[in-house]
Amino acid sequence: MRWYRFLAIGMGAAWLCLPVSSHAQFAAAGSGGPPGASIPGPGRADEPAEQAPADPGYFAGPSPYAPQAPGVNAANLPDIGSVAADSLPIMLPQAGADPAPGDWATYGRDDAQTRYSPLAQITPENVSHLQVAFTYHTGSYPRPGQTNKWAAETTPIKVGDGLYMCSAQNDIMKLDPATGKEIWRRNLGEKYEAIPYTAACKGVTYFTSSQVPQGQPCHNRILEGTLDMRLVAVDAATGEFCPGFGHGGQVNLMQGMGESVPGFVAMTVPPTVVNGVVVVNHQVLDGQRRWAPSGVVRGYDAESGRFVWAWDVKRPDDHDQPTGNRHYSRGTPNSWAAMTGDDALGLVYVPTGNSAGDYFSGYRSAAENAVSTSIVALDVKTGSPRWVFQTVHKDVWDYDMGSQVTIMDMPGTDGQTVPAIIVPTKRGQTFVLDRRTGQSILPVEERPAPAGDVAGDTRASTQPWSVGMPSLHMPDLREKDMWGMSPIDQLYCRIKFRRAHYMGEFTPPSLDRPWIMYPGNNGGSDWGSMAYDPQTGILIANWNASPMYAQLITRNKADALNLMPIDDPHYHPGAGAAEGNGPMEGTPYAITIAPFWDPFTRMLCHKPPYGMITAIDMKHGQKVLWQHPLGTARANGPWGLPTGLPWEIGTPNNGGAVVTAGGLVFIGAATDNLIRAIDERTGKVLWSHVLPGGGQANPMTYEVNGRQYVAIMAGGHHFMMTPVTDELVVFALPQAAQ
Amino acid sequence: MLREYGGKPLVEWLVLLLGIVIFLVGLVFVAGGAELALLGGSLYYLLCGLVLLASGLCMLMGRLQGALLYLVALAYTWVWSVWEIGFSPIDLLPRAFGPTLLALPVLFSIPVLRRMAARRAIGGTC
Repeated sequence: MRWYRFLAIGMGAAWLCLPVSSHAQFAAAGSGGPPGASIPGPGRADEPAEQAPADPGYFAGPSPYAPQAPGVNAANLPDIGSVAADSLPIMLPQAGADPAPGDWATYGRDDAQTRYSPLAQITPENVSHLQVAFTYHTGSYPRPGQTNKWAAETTPIKVGDGLYMCSAQNDIMKLDPATGKEIWRRNLGEKYEAIPYTAACKGVTYFTSSQVPQGQPCHNRILEGTLDMRLVAVDAATGEFCPGFGHGGQVNLMQGMGESVPGFVAMTVPPTVVNGVVVVNHQVLDGQRRWAPSGVVRGYDAESGRFVWAWDVKRPDDHDQPTGNRHYSRGTPNSWAAMTGDDALGLVYVPTGNSAGDYFSGYRSAAENAVSTSIVALDVKTGSPRWVFQTVHKDVWDYDMGSQVTIMDMPGTDGQTVPAIIVPTKRGQTFVLDRRTGQSILPVEERPAPAGDVAGDTRASTQPWSVGMPSLHMPDLREKDMWGMSPIDQLYCRIKFRRAHYMGEFTPPSLDRPWIMYPGNNGGSDWGSMAYDPQTGILIANWNASPMYAQLITRNKADALNLMPIDDPHYHPGAGAAEGNGPMEGTPYAITIAPFWDPFTRMLCHKPPYGMITAIDMKHGQKVLWQHPLGTARANGPWGLPTGLPWEIGTPNNGGAVVTAGGLVFIGAATDNLIRAIDERTGKVLWSHVLPGGGQANPMTYEVNGRQYVAIMAGGHHFMMTPVTDELVVFALPQAAQ
Repeated sequence: MLREYGGKPLVEWLVLLLGIVIFLVGLVFVAGGAELALLGGSLYYLLCGLVLLASGLCMLMGRLQGALLYLVALAYTWVWSVWEIGFSPIDLLPRAFGPTLLALPVLFSIPVLRRMAARRAIGGTC
């Protein structure tokens, strides 16, 4: 999947080296091999045949014949007991509630997840003097013999005297924020096999205990969810495990999950603490099987690590842990994005994805359809939804919610402000909701959507459009938008375009020919989320325009392609990874999916820009203040060759922005490996610096000893083909220039 | 002074090579363009491809029309490009840049083709 390397400009001479070779429709992984035999036995679930289970709450679990594979419970932790929500102690005010000006206390700096810092030492006038203050190596990168699945995506937090972060494989460390010197490091011994689609650790969570007195170990804690499904608590001062939390500082999040294998489910976002409940969600590998492990969201006591509640979509009235052979309902929508907590309303805003078996919805229950690809506001006392806002009805395009929502106060009609959240989506539709009720504050239109193309899988007749916010997507594709280096590339892409089924954003999946998904599952807003400056009311959003080209295929064809789910005994890496071809076992069809590109040159088929950045004035009618392509051609080109050109053509981008009171936006994200500072008012790029690896992470800023720093993890991204490193790069003004 | 290979000056071999390139591009244009036209897409590639095939053939036969037909195809390409997308450089890049670049050797081939034509007029052979 090397599509993120594409052309810049000026390679016209290549027209003489005409790409006349055959253009394979899909590069079939392991094609030509024998069909995967279906062998029952340990590790292979005796799952329901191609129909919905009779009992929507459970289906017959594979246990005891298919116990969790060795290594699924990574630290061999015993089960954890439960505690009633009513008996939880009152939570102390947390660092994120009102962070010190120089702190960055949560993933998005504060509990509102604004990604706004009041620091103003670095300004448009002096930003050009920024230089590297220090770097730090986390030690996690692909070793020889390991497939590159790395994209650290880490954002450190800074509270008081510590810069706390995690490595891509979940080792936790405290750094001296002024020097980058490692104060302590807690290694978790995570195995390579635990890496799911991506080795990522977006961050850790700072929690202050009301039960452990100040000055005692684990009064202040660092909480982390891991790729191998542990919830870990260590002392912020020493890095020692908190003995009073779980079993020696760890909780096994695979409890109740049933059959799985390492890498099938994983946690990559920092846990969210709301009113003493630490809420955890996890990703489930896409496209594997209809009855993949559950997407359950759970709450644990942040003091003791004991279980408080579960939100299992198919068991709406049962919030307890399953016992015996029972497990959380399989195949339910999972939530992999960072959640946002709301102590005042006692809610956690959960961005959800769609049910497992992503591109066929025929076997989904009504309960799943009601909450997929939505923001679900869970009551942290009960684990029940208080409201749900759905952004795609019956999603078969993998528009799962990647962004963390941002809390803000929206100017209302009567001069009062309305408590709101900003909900970015991969569709590029941004919704603004009243966070008390989930009602949209800005107008939302339900517009007609095309009917389905596949027997037994009807589509929703309408889809919601946020017409009160600027759209963060390009117009629908046309044949003349096809691009390339030469007329022959363009001709190839025009044919590919015309061969496909395409009737706009909600083109339904098709079996007889490919279909185009645009914006697609890499489009719009992703996990970088948005940055909101509450002082100026300016919302900063970076987004993507990168269509996908997909086709449903029959089970026979899937077997011929050797597609099999990760928990198949014959599975080997490459046999259907996430975001590539997927077996979708348990549905009638499998999926072949690739970027809408020219696989020979590895350039996207349509013309740039592929990535944009937009500033929206939220206080005065949601107008676009400025918008321009994000990312230069310097590190991109056909066949993955860097062109060195400084042109801002707009590259795909992953990772969000920071906005500061100094009037600056800091962002990496693009595939040009630059971090840049942009003038918040004008959009002008004022400064940029070449990072050692791809800047696919949210930057952050903090102050210590009167000096402002800007930090970004230059971890790179395997899928975006940017250089992978283990290096955190921290910038500051020279001492003299301050 | 002219280096000769197999009885032909090098430049004439290069012109033949150019003819082969243009012919092959024409083949791709006609084959792909026919499919595109059948799928309801632009007719440009099919039509331009036919001109390019003729251009390549003529050039292989050492005829001046080969170069002239290429220039016709180029003019058609420019007119069609501007008609389809205007003067946007990023849109002109895939459509017109390569064909224009290829026009340079075609222009250089004109005197060679003239000489070949003149020789044919005297000697009566290709």
